[in-house]
Amino acid sequence: MDAVTKDGGAAAAGGPRPADQTPADLAPADLAPADLATAESEGRRSGTGLPPIVAVIVDPATYRAALSLVLLLPLGLVGFVWVVATLAIGVLLSITLVGIPIVAASLMGARQIAAVGRQLARWGFQAKIATPPPLAYGGGPIGWLAAVLLDALSWRSVLYLVVLLPMSIVSAVVTIVLIMASVLSPILIAAPWIVRAFSAANRWLAERLLAPVTLSERVRRLQDRRRQVVESAADERRRIERDLHDGAQARLVALALDLGMAKEKLAGGSDPERAATLVASAHDEVKRALSELRDLTRGIHPAVLTDRGLDAALSAVAARCTVPVVVSVDVPQRPSPATEQITYYCVSELLVNVSRHSRASAAAVTVHRVGDLLLLDVRDDGVGGADPVRGTGLRGLAERVESAGGRLVLESPAGGPTVISMELPCAL
Amino acid sequence: MRIVIAEDSVVLRDGLGRLLADAGHEIVAAVPDGDGLLAAIATEPADIAVVDVRMPPTHTDEGLRAAVHIRREHPEVAVLVFSQYVEERYAAELLAGSTKKVGYLLKDRVADVRDFIDAVERVAAGGTALDPEVISQIFSRSRRREALNALTPRERDVLAAMAEGSSNAAIAAKLVVSEGAVEKHVSNIFAKLGLSPSESEHRRVLAVLTYLGVTS
Repeated sequence: MDAVTKDGGAAAAGGPRPADQTPADLAPADLAPADLATAESEGRRSGTGLPPIVAVIVDPATYRAALSLVLLLPLGLVGFVWVVATLAIGVLLSITLVGIPIVAASLMGARQIAAVGRQLARWGFQAKIATPPPLAYGGGPIGWLAAVLLDALSWRSVLYLVVLLPMSIVSAVVTIVLIMASVLSPILIAAPWIVRAFSAANRWLAERLLAPVTLSERVRRLQDRRRQVVESAADERRRIERDLHDGAQARLVALALDLGMAKEKLAGGSDPERAATLVASAHDEVKRALSELRDLTRGIHPAVLTDRGLDAALSAVAARCTVPVVVSVDVPQRPSPATEQITYYCVSELLVNVSRHSRASAAAVTVHRVGDLLLLDVRDDGVGGADPVRGTGLRGLAERVESAGGRLVLESPAGGPTVISMELPCAL
Repeated sequence: MRIVIAEDSVVLRDGLGRLLADAGHEIVAAVPDGDGLLAAIATEPADIAVVDVRMPPTHTDEGLRAAVHIRREHPEVAVLVFSQYVEERYAAELLAGSTKKVGYLLKDRVADVRDFIDAVERVAAGGTALDPEVISQIFSRSRRREALNALTPRERDVLAAMAEGSSNAAIAAKLVVSEGAVEKHVSNIFAKLGLSPSESEHRRVLAVLTYLGVTS
């Protein structure tokens, strides 16, 4: 019974997901067929309580595994031929630079072929592998080339396809022989177990090589994020220093100057009218300094965010925007303070951009929570053409969001409208 | 007038005391936190409490909570909340139930001494004083955007001034127009928004704020 329950448990729907899956990878459709099949076969097992020797023969998983082992052979052949042919040409030609795009195309092809292998491993061998997100790249053909060449999953796919050829030949031949032998002598008790063993080996291979993220990649990514966090904190300090220096500090100097002159005039008693003008100008100056300081400190962290949450805090941000902004917040359960803080910061910065650059007549901010994700959407009907490559603001925001394990997507075609979507984990 | 001040910054507490005493009012207590404020209100008969929002121990909203408490338990005492920032949400909590004897202003407004003292006196006399910043936040979060868009810019200015608690005469002075013109704007606004016209100032404020969705 041991082997059966273990097998069933491996694909159980409610079991814990691998830790490295991001929520976006957890689209239910990815895992649904395997889940359904498992629930089915488990129900039967618990209902009949068959001995393992019989159970493994009637278990549809055994036959799915057998079919998949046979199907591996064409996949292994296609994959191997593709990799050897295209990669060899690409590497040879890469002396002339033409080879580099060919290598990239080869890698992308390998990634696609390996994706079929991943599906097969999930369906036939009950492998638990998340669907990798589509390759993200930043702007232009060069960006695409760099992203493809640096994508670890593509290189692992190549490795998988190379190893798969011998593996699939042995798997398929053994399986076909076993099926034929079983037909000739009906009681070949070992056959299902051998199929299971090959299935397990193929599952192991697929899980090692075709998962979106490996542990070492995770470590590297976390190191990157840590560096981004440190850098953005330093940037933030520099920005605050500059704002204070150019704003309130300069105003206070002007104020001291006006008051000093007024004091002179009053002490001399020579020109009370001039003194009154100077005091009035000092008064205006100090009011402007107060208002600038208020904007600055409010941008850092408003108290209302702590005690009333995002919905309340965004009112003042929306009111300050030069464009009418409709804010709608649907977050029944408050996310962590760090998530609220980053979201607040992003909305303030994005609305400053709307005020300064968009030439929009209306903007909308939508925040809502889906499970453990906070989704933010800032859109305006302005001229569009926002480009993270040119302005550092958007890139800084994206880095900040990524450093918190979220992502920020910009859509801003020339002519508008601009839509910036962001997702952040609620627990930070 | 008998005034209680609750403000944790010593400089500002003393300054406010000087300013209000200078205007001929009596400071019956000046305390640094919400508990002190509630104790003072319970023992000293006062006309108005001037309350900072952020005070010890948590430095978040204890002043606001004390103010809401005073409005519920001691309706005879007017409350003027003033703060480094103003928040539409705080305004809604403060105004829940009634717009009489209540004010909510930015601290910066003390710089214009005359206006500030007018606001304190207006609130103590049963009126309303809401900061223009609060009003613009309320406008921006109002669900009645379409109806607001139907107003002319001038009418919006008048509506904002009405929501702040100004009388027709004060609005006329502020916008540099005649009182007759203001009256005409006001009746247009009430007609466009489907509000019943109202003479009394705090009823006007209530009508406007209810319309904007701040109070129920």
